[in-house]
Amino acid sequence: MTKIQVYDPALCCSTGVCGVEVDQEKVTFAADVDWLKSQGGQIERFNLAQQPMAFAENPVVKSFLGRSGAESLPLILVDGEMALAGRYPHRSELAKWANVSLPSSETKQTGGCCSGKRCC
Amino acid sequence: MKFLENLPNFLFFTGKGGVGKTSLACATAVRLADAGKRVLLVSTDPASNVGQVFGVAIGNKVTPFDSVPGLSGLEIDPQAAAQIYRDKIVGPVRGVLPDNVVKGIEEQLSGACTTEIAAFDEFTALLTDEAILKDYDHVIFDTAPTGHTIRLLQLPGAWSGFLDEGKGDASCLGPLAGLEKQREKYKSAVDALSDPNRTRLMLVTRAQASSLKEANRTHGELSAIGFKRQYLVVNGVLAETDTKEDPLALAVYRREQAALASMPDALRTLPIDQVSLKSFNLVGLPALRHLLVENGAVPEGAAVTLPKLQAPDLATLVDGLVGEGHGLIMLMGKGGVGKTTIAAAVAVELASRGFPVHLTTSDPAAHLAETLEGSLENLTLSRIEPHAETERYRKHVIETKGKNLDAQGKALLEEDLRSPCTEEIAVFQAFSRIIREAGKKFVVMDTAPTGHTLLLLDATGAYHRETARQLGPSGIHFTTPMMQLQDSKQTKVLIVTLAENTPVLEAANLQSDLRRANIEPWAWIINNSLAMANPTSPLMRQRASNEIAQIEAVTTEHAKRWAVVPLQAEEPIGLERLKKLARHPVRCDTSVPPKGSFQAG
Repeated sequence: MTKIQVYDPALCCSTGVCGVEVDQEKVTFAADVDWLKSQGGQIERFNLAQQPMAFAENPVVKSFLGRSGAESLPLILVDGEMALAGRYPHRSELAKWANVSLPSSETKQTGGCCSGKRCC
Repeated sequence: MKFLENLPNFLFFTGKGGVGKTSLACATAVRLADAGKRVLLVSTDPASNVGQVFGVAIGNKVTPFDSVPGLSGLEIDPQAAAQIYRDKIVGPVRGVLPDNVVKGIEEQLSGACTTEIAAFDEFTALLTDEAILKDYDHVIFDTAPTGHTIRLLQLPGAWSGFLDEGKGDASCLGPLAGLEKQREKYKSAVDALSDPNRTRLMLVTRAQASSLKEANRTHGELSAIGFKRQYLVVNGVLAETDTKEDPLALAVYRREQAALASMPDALRTLPIDQVSLKSFNLVGLPALRHLLVENGAVPEGAAVTLPKLQAPDLATLVDGLVGEGHGLIMLMGKGGVGKTTIAAAVAVELASRGFPVHLTTSDPAAHLAETLEGSLENLTLSRIEPHAETERYRKHVIETKGKNLDAQGKALLEEDLRSPCTEEIAVFQAFSRIIREAGKKFVVMDTAPTGHTLLLLDATGAYHRETARQLGPSGIHFTTPMMQLQDSKQTKVLIVTLAENTPVLEAANLQSDLRRANIEPWAWIINNSLAMANPTSPLMRQRASNEIAQIEAVTTEHAKRWAVVPLQAEEPIGLERLKKLARHPVRCDTSVPPKGSFQAG
């Protein structure tokens, strides 16, 4: 089964509300992770502020941090390989990686204008 | 004293810094031990003066007090507990991950939440250890966990996918991940706390409107989570017999009685005790044994000779603030030290020298600003309601960003939004709209963000983006507020404190927190000083002389510049009284003002 690993920047709250502005991306992603788990997908999150060892022990993540810095997180590995960095994946991407099918109404959201941050 | 009757096993004293929680906890412990009980006294006081009070060195282990049979002490240092936790997390990756990454992690773990959870973790051990209750009849704590912490621990959402899976992905509870306690343990600790047969919680307050209001807020918060029955202890009430025709003492007496008479209704329903103001410092056993004795007259010592206090007044300090005729002035300090009053006095001083000044306050109780309305042509006023700002921010986040969350997720988001950081951020966001004016006039604020918040926001860059958006093309030559705050030409942070042990210590902590963010406080202001007010009643004179050591500590150890503001006989509202507050009766002269020169009432 595909294993998805999410390396989060240092967050004091998983919801990310400690910033000046709550990041919708983080709030949505927290919900998406719950959804994927409920579908039987295998996904793990690591918070830089709480589990830095997980970052140090993985050579891919460690060298990514050395090269691009913590500001380039999050980093998403799929089966140990780099799949995405700098933003959180959408539900559709998670579904694709994990081979889980999306309800048909949600497949439409794939791509489109909202693939970046806060453009809508 | 009602709060001493039919005591359960666990006693907590809660209240803001400087109200006398530790003294009351110590006095209660001694009293119970004197009555033959086996007592464990647990202190988290950062001033850690329990050891000093009993003349024993105690630390993070249970230490019997030889001087009081049956009494043992234990000191918990939440800062140290938090540091141990930080080291545990960060230690193994130091030198492995890039330095700036490690630094960012450390900052994330330097907030109030980490400290508080680390302290709660220590409490938990005591509340759930069966052996403790075999060895002791009473365990007394000089602090209590906040409603925020307890609520978090009660939320199922905070635990899902958390300790059960060993993944620290939850919220402010993060620190618990490293402390590896079981969820069951926390649950039984919260159960013990909420059971009135096992736990009694004393709300400690002073007879001051702001202090009573704070106690009422805590009471409301605790009631809302089912901790309904607390005891209210009003500490340090000046007795009428102690005023001895001292106009200043009489004014204090009347003010305190008025505050008690207009106490919030919810507090009135609680069992209430008053502990009278004592002349002595609460150090040593005889003093502690006297504290809880009602009408316990302490033999008066010899008349106190007060050293002549030579200290700059606020007006003198403002002379040095004038600089380029504009800039940001932020008053910082714990609640109840009088930041709003001092901010208003600074603003009045600057405005009466002809500078354009914008005074903005966040103190919801401040009628002060209104009393200045229209009084000086070049003084503008604005108010920011912290609760309203925070509520608006919370609502906005929940309605927009939380709309797709399930019930548990929503509950967790809501609780995250109740953290102290959120309020600070919401308020500062409101303030940052006003900060931009500091380029052309003086902006005086009665609050400032902590170093932790600044570092956190700066590290994420979120602040920078936010400010860039808010400032727009306004042409001000700074890039981030962090840089503006670090530049002592543009910004001056004034720390406000009282000449008492705990407030001075808390102020020193605020200062080191700011220094972590490379912000150097410009000056300290010691407010409400009795020593500066030259009281005549023996009790007030004794208390005035107790201040000297604290004032010395501020001037020699902490502050680069300072001013001392005497305790005012009259409520310092309105233009004239604020001007009076800023100037010592005869500047640069140390002679005692003639008796009766104050107008009481």
